[in-house]
Amino acid sequence: MAIVAQHTKFSKIAWPVLAWVVALIFFFPIAYMVLTSFKTDADAVKPEFLFSFTPTLENYANMTDNYDYWRFARNSVITSVFATIFTLVVAIPCSYAMAFNPSRGTKDILMWMLSTKMLPAAAVLYPMIFMTKAAGLYDTHFLIVMVLSLINLPIAIWMLFTYFKDIPKDIIEAGQMDGLNTWGEVREILIPLAWGGIASTALLVFIFCWNEAYWTVRLTTTEAATLSKLIEGNRAPEGLFFGRLSAVSTAAVGPIVVLGWFCQKQLVQGLTFGAVK
Amino acid sequence: MANRTIPRLLQTPAVLLLLFWMLVPLSMTLFFSFIRYVLNSLRRPEWTTPSIENWRGFGNYQFVWNQDSFWLAIQNSLLIVCSILFLTVSLGVLIAVLINRTFPGRGIVRVLLISPFFVMPAVNAVLWINMILDPVLGLQGIAVNGINDFIDGMRTAPVLGGFFSLWPEFEPISFRATQTSAYAVIMMVTWQWTPFAVLIFMTSLQSEDQQQKEAAILDGAGAWNQFRFLTLPHLARPIAIVVMIQAIFHLSLYAEIEIVSRGNGNKNLPYYIGELVNNNIGAASATGIFAVILANIVAIFLLRMIGKTLME
Repeated sequence: MAIVAQHTKFSKIAWPVLAWVVALIFFFPIAYMVLTSFKTDADAVKPEFLFSFTPTLENYANMTDNYDYWRFARNSVITSVFATIFTLVVAIPCSYAMAFNPSRGTKDILMWMLSTKMLPAAAVLYPMIFMTKAAGLYDTHFLIVMVLSLINLPIAIWMLFTYFKDIPKDIIEAGQMDGLNTWGEVREILIPLAWGGIASTALLVFIFCWNEAYWTVRLTTTEAATLSKLIEGNRAPEGLFFGRLSAVSTAAVGPIVVLGWFCQKQLVQGLTFGAVK
Repeated sequence: MANRTIPRLLQTPAVLLLLFWMLVPLSMTLFFSFIRYVLNSLRRPEWTTPSIENWRGFGNYQFVWNQDSFWLAIQNSLLIVCSILFLTVSLGVLIAVLINRTFPGRGIVRVLLISPFFVMPAVNAVLWINMILDPVLGLQGIAVNGINDFIDGMRTAPVLGGFFSLWPEFEPISFRATQTSAYAVIMMVTWQWTPFAVLIFMTSLQSEDQQQKEAAILDGAGAWNQFRFLTLPHLARPIAIVVMIQAIFHLSLYAEIEIVSRGNGNKNLPYYIGELVNNNIGAASATGIFAVILANIVAIFLLRMIGKTLME
């Protein structure tokens, strides 16, 4: 872990200090946003109140009046939760079959699934608008849930596949000896053993759904509009509303940033498709 | 395991869903790209419904190919993607090496560093363009004002006054203009994705061969040589993966462009398509096919690399 380098006194102090400075610089914009969210709109643009000011909670109290925050938040929660559940329901059986009964085609299917992720969304924008409007699905929760599931399905399958692959096959075979059917294997062996992997896949898919900003912006107007759409709609407050905008932004990203802290490791596996360990 | 039906059955829903997702919209795009199809046309109302009778062959492709704005969008896409890649990878390697050691508060440093990655792109863009980069009310404006005030104050100072009176008045930069907004986008995306690179490089550094390193130290290799000849080669593969994953993500960058440069000329390919979709569907579809080709060039390399490690 640690570099076994020649530890001089200087390097023992200087490098950690530098590391802290870099980390604080990267965190600064978030900290500044949180800080500003406790200022009134008038104070937020005054340089003299940059770091010392009288904190107020009014921006958070007025989120509903100012932005109708909770309606967008509700949509974000509904679409992300259901998309995560649906993704897992489809992905778990698929990865299970691929990990424990691989056929010659499995590798190709996995690669093909990944390649769907590389299709630029903009290329199919109009057909999606066209189809969903024709089917009466435009701006519905159902549509957003489906789209979010589809774009995250390859990542979920890949992550689960890499977890399931590490479970010894003997255990499954022992289960079959004991007369377990497929559903029994999944319930009695796979889910208990791969619980951690499934949970972190769910967490990561949820984060991606929450932060998605292409389809949720382009395929909604009001009914199913998520927090991305809300923020995007307030792109240029002209300095008048920094306080309230910060509050609503903090509320939109806060829970996810905290969730993200818990799945750093899984992120590596999920985003590199198991290629970096 | 003689029975292959159940495994196949289990894979079917996922395969069918993705097959639908991949084939249906894309074939429609392909079809629309070969016909004349606009949403509003008083002169030629027959063009407003998609029909094989309005066949245009490669006309849409030719039309798009000859548009200056298409090439500007490609150029901008490449500028943005390449700059972000260069910055995130170099910063990522440096920071990963920096924190790959034990020191007090390492866990907190990691948490602070990774946080930007989880900020939703829309918030990222709104936060940066307004509160940080705004030339008047953002931190940039405040900082530039502060520097100017400081210089002004120093001009009358006894000994140093002469030196400071040589300094010009600084002008804050507006990042909402066509010429500058690409740089704003590069900044904010670099801020968001450097943590991703750091995380991956750090994961990879932890599997670095320590014995080899100790041997190198015994042989008298300096810190630079260790980095150059051991760490960097070890990171070659993760770097390649970070580059390609990011290339795919950033080629379809949208929210940041939409928020920073709506109304100015700084468009990338997805944004350009989004504008064409307001009326000229034929041209939008042809541009979409160009975007698919561009993404595929990147994707082929990535799939090859990942395919190698699969099933290990």
